[in-house]
Amino acid sequence: MSTALATRPGVLRRVGGLRHHSPGRLQLLIALLVGLGLISGLLAGVAGSSARAGTNDLGDRAQPLLIEAETIYSALADADTTAAQAFLAGGLEPAALTRRYDDDLARATTALTSAARRTPEDGRAATAVRTLSAGVSEYSALVATARANNRQGLPIGSSYLSEASRLNRDTLQPQARELFEGAQQEVEDGYGKAGALGWMTLLVLSLAGLVIALALTQRYLSRRTRRTFNLPLLGATAVTLVLTIGTLTILISQQTRLDRAANQGSGPVASIAESRLLALQARGDEALTLAARAGSGPYEQDFDAVAEQLRRPGGPMVNGYGRLDPALGRTMTRAAEGFERYVTAHSDVRALDDSGDYEGAVKLAVGAETTKTFEEVRTELDRALENRKEFFTQEISAAGDGLGLLTVGGPLLALAACVLAFIGLRTRLEEYR
Amino acid sequence: MRVRAALVVTVLAATTALAGCSGDTSPLPVTPDRPRAIATTPAPGGDKPAPPACNPRASLRPAGSLPPPGEMPAGSYMATILQRGRLVLGTSQDTLLFSSRNPFSGEIEGFDVDMGRQIAEAIFGDPDKIQIKVIGYDKRVSSAADGSVDIVADTMTANCERWADVNFSSVYYEAGQKVLVAKASKAKSINDLGGKRICSAAGSTSFENIGKVKAKPVAVAKPAFGDCLVAFQRNEVEGISTDDTILAGMAAQDPYAKVIGPRFTEEPYAIAMDKKHPEFARFVNAVLERNRANGTWKRTYDKWLGDFGPAPTPPKAQYR
Repeated sequence: MSTALATRPGVLRRVGGLRHHSPGRLQLLIALLVGLGLISGLLAGVAGSSARAGTNDLGDRAQPLLIEAETIYSALADADTTAAQAFLAGGLEPAALTRRYDDDLARATTALTSAARRTPEDGRAATAVRTLSAGVSEYSALVATARANNRQGLPIGSSYLSEASRLNRDTLQPQARELFEGAQQEVEDGYGKAGALGWMTLLVLSLAGLVIALALTQRYLSRRTRRTFNLPLLGATAVTLVLTIGTLTILISQQTRLDRAANQGSGPVASIAESRLLALQARGDEALTLAARAGSGPYEQDFDAVAEQLRRPGGPMVNGYGRLDPALGRTMTRAAEGFERYVTAHSDVRALDDSGDYEGAVKLAVGAETTKTFEEVRTELDRALENRKEFFTQEISAAGDGLGLLTVGGPLLALAACVLAFIGLRTRLEEYR
Repeated sequence: MRVRAALVVTVLAATTALAGCSGDTSPLPVTPDRPRAIATTPAPGGDKPAPPACNPRASLRPAGSLPPPGEMPAGSYMATILQRGRLVLGTSQDTLLFSSRNPFSGEIEGFDVDMGRQIAEAIFGDPDKIQIKVIGYDKRVSSAADGSVDIVADTMTANCERWADVNFSSVYYEAGQKVLVAKASKAKSINDLGGKRICSAAGSTSFENIGKVKAKPVAVAKPAFGDCLVAFQRNEVEGISTDDTILAGMAAQDPYAKVIGPRFTEEPYAIAMDKKHPEFARFVNAVLERNRANGTWKRTYDKWLGDFGPAPTPPKAQYR
């Protein structure tokens, strides 16, 4: 301790004393340039690898998780609707509906398995995944029991079905929404991490510092000596400039790509997904209203609320999608028009049911015509979703371009600049010995 | 989530609307439309003001002979129904034998539904001019009282409390409450089931009666009796208690269940109607009277309940 205290002022004084004579100044300049060079190299490595990790996480984990959460949600909603429609059809459930229900459950469980891999151990997403895993098997068991009873002509089958539907709507779907919203949050955070703006700013600042320091050193040398140019220092400056320009290019291109991925990829993906969920919810409301056989009730009120949301200009379905991509705009317009046709058909269903023609209402609701109208809406929305997913993947992989080069090449170039600066100044220094 | 909110709103609205009705069991802490509404509250009974003494079986006397179908007296409620073109029947869709959905055809059918169809036939000359609206057990009184259905025939017990809000027809079926348990159970009657979880439909008299049993079983409310059977099969409850007729329909669907004990209550079933139309109650009573006399009642009994033995004599109508 005491020695450290005793020596420190000595060291400081010695270093401070250096600036009073030329060799000392040169030594200080060497330390400054090499120090800045090493820091720049280090920052280039850290910024590059952190942005790369962030971009990969966004593209390979957060965004796929969002898609999976939506798949789970929509598959569950569709399974509920399909089960209710099969029930409405009466008799043995139609094979097409059974197949669709099975597909829905398969999609939900597959997506659930991979979502489990992509969620961190703790947090609300993990809780949602656990509840869903347990709930989906309970749900499918209830539906299976309902089917078995139905096959034997026991009315208890319909009670099992309503128990299953309650579980689906009141427990599973809210959990799926929780997962969906959690994933949306993760995507938003993911953009911050992928940008790694903090590290990038430090890197650019330190590179700028290095360039300025090199320039000032050369001016100092050319004034002090008769040599106008110091070749190694010029080389160091060139290398640093290359590194700076390279970094800025990569940075600007990456930020642009990320911006595009966020505004034209993730954003539209989330709202198209929302449209699809709402449309499925409306179709489910229709089936459940008929299954309850109690006239227009709470599910019908829900239908109205959902339909209004979907038809609202500026909402998730009717929006300026055409500005992003004309083809996407056409797809979404077709979806919105299809939904209008479906709402018309639905009004007819309600009119029939409310005027006492229950059988007619069921026939119209689960009949081929209305089913086709609704399926068209769904197909268009699926297509739109694919369009944006593709765009996102493309932009994100482009955003990752060059980051690897920065991680590896950045430190190497910075090191080269250090070595060159050192050589250039040491030759001058040796002239004093 | 939106639906849930909507449900809460409707439940609340219904509760407010029913505040003035004494006949419903609405103050119960159960929300039948909500998921897993297992009310493990000690069941009600006793703490409510006793209804005015009355003879719940005594209804309004029919006025003369029935008008021919399609020619209802002007200004009567039957004429309104005739003009509308269909009779709206409120019932359930999961009470096997009384009103349940036939899984093969999708039609709702049973003893109660046939009661409604006979009224429709008397008005229109066509039993198919009927619209079936499924209502919750806890909505039976309010649906009849607010005119959202014309008649309620839904294993509904006529009692003095409900008479305050609706008109009942004469009694068309005499039931009594029993309890259904697992075949392996050693219980002989509801008195052996103290502390056990016994399910019944929210808003039914059966649910209230469970609370009056001295052995203190735990009453569990479900939205409908079908949900009770689901709960029983999933081991959520040890038994189900309600009218023997409904239990018979359940036992018929589950070979591992049995109905035990003597009837510990009397449940006279009658058709509920809006109190504003006494002429309609008289008309319905006239239809029931005719059908008792001409053997229609017996045929209906044999059709749905024949498996339990030969038809008894129909309940004798009592009038005020």
